Amino acid sequence: MRHTFLIARQEFIKYVTRRGFLISVLMFPLWIMIVIFVPRWTGEGSAAHEHVFTVVDRSGGAFRDALYCAVERQYQQKKLESLAHYASANADMTKLARTAPRVAALLRDPDAPGAVAAFRALNVNGAPSAIASSAPGTLACAGDGEFAVRHALERTIRPNADVFFEPPTDLIYIAPPNYLEQASGPGFPAAVRRAFATEAAPGLDEAGPKLDTVIVIPRDFGQNGTNAAGYWSEGRPDSDFRDLVQTALARALQLRAIHAYAPHLTDTTILDANVSLQAHDPSHDGERSTPFDSIVPIALAIILFVVSVMNSSVLLQGVVEEKSTRMIEVLLSCATPREITSGKLIGVIAVALTTLVIWALVLFALMALASHDTATLVLVSLKAIASMDTLPFLLLFFLCGLLIYGSLFLAIGSMANSLADAQSLLGPSMLILMLPNLMIGAIMQNPNGPLASALTWVPIYTPFFMMLRIASHPPAWQLWGAVALALATTVAMILWTGRIFARHVLTTERPPSLGRLVRGLLRAPQS
Amino acid sequence: MTIVELSHVTKRFGDFTAVDDLSFALEKGSILGFLGPNGAGKTTTLRMMLGIFPPDAGRIRILGRDVSEVRERIGYLPEERGLYRRMRADAAIAYVATLKGMQRAPALARARVLLEDFGLGEFARVRIEGLSKGMAQKVQVLSAVVHDPEFVILDEPFSGLDPVNQSELEAFIRRLAGEGKTILFSTHTMQHAERLCDRVLVLAKGRKRFEGTLDEARALLPRRARLGAEADIGFLAHVPGVTHAAPPSPGQPFWTLDLKEGDDGRALLAACFERAVPLTHFDVSPPGLHEVFVSLVGEHSEAI
Repeated sequence: MRHTFLIARQEFIKYVTRRGFLISVLMFPLWIMIVIFVPRWTGEGSAAHEHVFTVVDRSGGAFRDALYCAVERQYQQKKLESLAHYASANADMTKLARTAPRVAALLRDPDAPGAVAAFRALNVNGAPSAIASSAPGTLACAGDGEFAVRHALERTIRPNADVFFEPPTDLIYIAPPNYLEQASGPGFPAAVRRAFATEAAPGLDEAGPKLDTVIVIPRDFGQNGTNAAGYWSEGRPDSDFRDLVQTALARALQLRAIHAYAPHLTDTTILDANVSLQAHDPSHDGERSTPFDSIVPIALAIILFVVSVMNSSVLLQGVVEEKSTRMIEVLLSCATPREITSGKLIGVIAVALTTLVIWALVLFALMALASHDTATLVLVSLKAIASMDTLPFLLLFFLCGLLIYGSLFLAIGSMANSLADAQSLLGPSMLILMLPNLMIGAIMQNPNGPLASALTWVPIYTPFFMMLRIASHPPAWQLWGAVALALATTVAMILWTGRIFARHVLTTERPPSLGRLVRGLLRAPQS
Repeated sequence: MTIVELSHVTKRFGDFTAVDDLSFALEKGSILGFLGPNGAGKTTTLRMMLGIFPPDAGRIRILGRDVSEVRERIGYLPEERGLYRRMRADAAIAYVATLKGMQRAPALARARVLLEDFGLGEFARVRIEGLSKGMAQKVQVLSAVVHDPEFVILDEPFSGLDPVNQSELEAFIRRLAGEGKTILFSTHTMQHAERLCDRVLVLAKGRKRFEGTLDEARALLPRRARLGAEADIGFLAHVPGVTHAAPPSPGQPFWTLDLKEGDDGRALLAACFERAVPLTHFDVSPPGLHEVFVSLVGEHSEAI
């Protein structure tokens, strides 16, 4: 046991003091941050790109108003989210809940169904509206609760709080120029090109951003089955904005049809109608599922693969190096092969867990740089993870997976005489290990389906697939069967690796064929 | 007191017999030279004595016990640099010491004392990859003895050392033997064995070809006389007691005459005096260990 601990300690120190370790543990969170934040900082990844658009509505103007209204409602959502973010950072939310409970509730959950409608209603009798009407058949985007929210916040704001800035407007409407409204037929594309070249949103000192989208509503739109509107833009259309236009026009047509039968209903009543869908699982007494229930297992499964491959390949290189310098003989003169392999595997597990902790810390640190809510996020995340009833299983499968992959790489290292030998053995092994990653999509479509159930019983894949499936609560017999199989596989792999290590680590002959290897494993150990 | 005892030890790898019915014993404080050509079975024997391989037949007793019980009382120096390249010199020595049962703090302290004794004090915190081959070899030697073992196995300890360092290491090995440690070292360099060993054991093709003192080894071959003369002294081949005569050759300016056992060469001098042949050189010496070794492990030699 003492030898195992000493070797594990040495392996741990050997790996974590390598420059490559530091680079790899910092690279992964940085890479994630780049993927998440760089598009956001550059504006590429934001939900809405900036667009200056105009609408040529030949049907009379009702659809132009509907589009304008849809854009306005989207901006109200964005403004409400900004206010909620501002309030969480700068206001005393407990005091706000006492003094203005409606505002506090709204700011706590700005994405709740009906939140935007409630936000607008805060101001219905107070501040002026941009387009003040909610009569049947007219616009349903009037009003804005910003005045009421800011008024409520004024009494609860903390000293030295930041100033609130309204979020920028992504979608800017400008009135269509006359030449564009009058153009038609073959001359219309030229008129659009001219508009793109010359028209722009009004700016303060200089011209604002240029017009980039023209929506054309035909005269008979919505009549006699004519539902095709025109969307003119340079290059590839922005799918988000196109979806918004499409949805707004479809809803305008639906509103028109509804008003034909129920003229007393306001647009607001219809457009603000929304539902929330809460996920429940009967196997857990109907408790609500949280996003962590599914995200954590998938993330852990992927991390298992990345960490295993990263650290186990270092383990493999280490064994090959020990063989070439004959350090392995010194170790074998002090400890048994089983003590050496156990020590090396424990060392790798310690390195893997250290890697995970550093990744988490670096990720949170980077998120803190990008957002003010990190402390809250960390607490919420940790609380959610700790309350997961699947956590013990996840950790068990994670450790089993790590030991299985580590044993495999250690066995390869002990059979190889050089890194070239190791590479030739590593190639096929990596293909086998990568298979579960290629199946993630198919498994997540139906986590308890026949494919997922079948793959679970392939011993070296059991931990990986069970981590993916665990949030879907597989049948108890499958869960416990998988636990037994994962443990048995882990023990077998460790024992076999010890045997392969003892038999091959001091030989200088070519790595054995698969048949010879299996025969050797089945034979009684030498000592 | 017998420290090492091998009795009819055999080791096979498949159909290949690496060590065949090997028996020998080592007394406390002695130095045994373990000699043999490549593939003779030296490394396999050493590994069995370290408990890395179990013998297929026969018995190995170290310090009166089974090897697995006394691993911590054995020191081992492998042929190559068996050290982690990125470890610092003192930590590398201390690591082996902890594996041999010492606590880390005293192991580290002892490592630094040994490094200081060997003139490597200022390199204690330098990584192995930053040391010269000779320095790394010294660190390796120290890691084999840091835990104060009673039995030390040294596999090619002089490899990579310059003559000055070789002399230092020879003195160190003698010091270890003087302290009562029993030493077995394998080598291809016969001069080291001649200078250091009390006894030698020659192994070839897995079998013991010879075991005994240096004098006993030299006695295996006849004494040899070397004579220098300007005249032709080929007549000496017919002098009684001469078994073979070889004329001078490039790089060898003297006549070489092999003598029968017990012959001291005086008859050669008498024959030259009778014929009034003046000699420019005359010496009679026992054969070198190198010649004995070549004779023992040569293709047609038989077990002795």
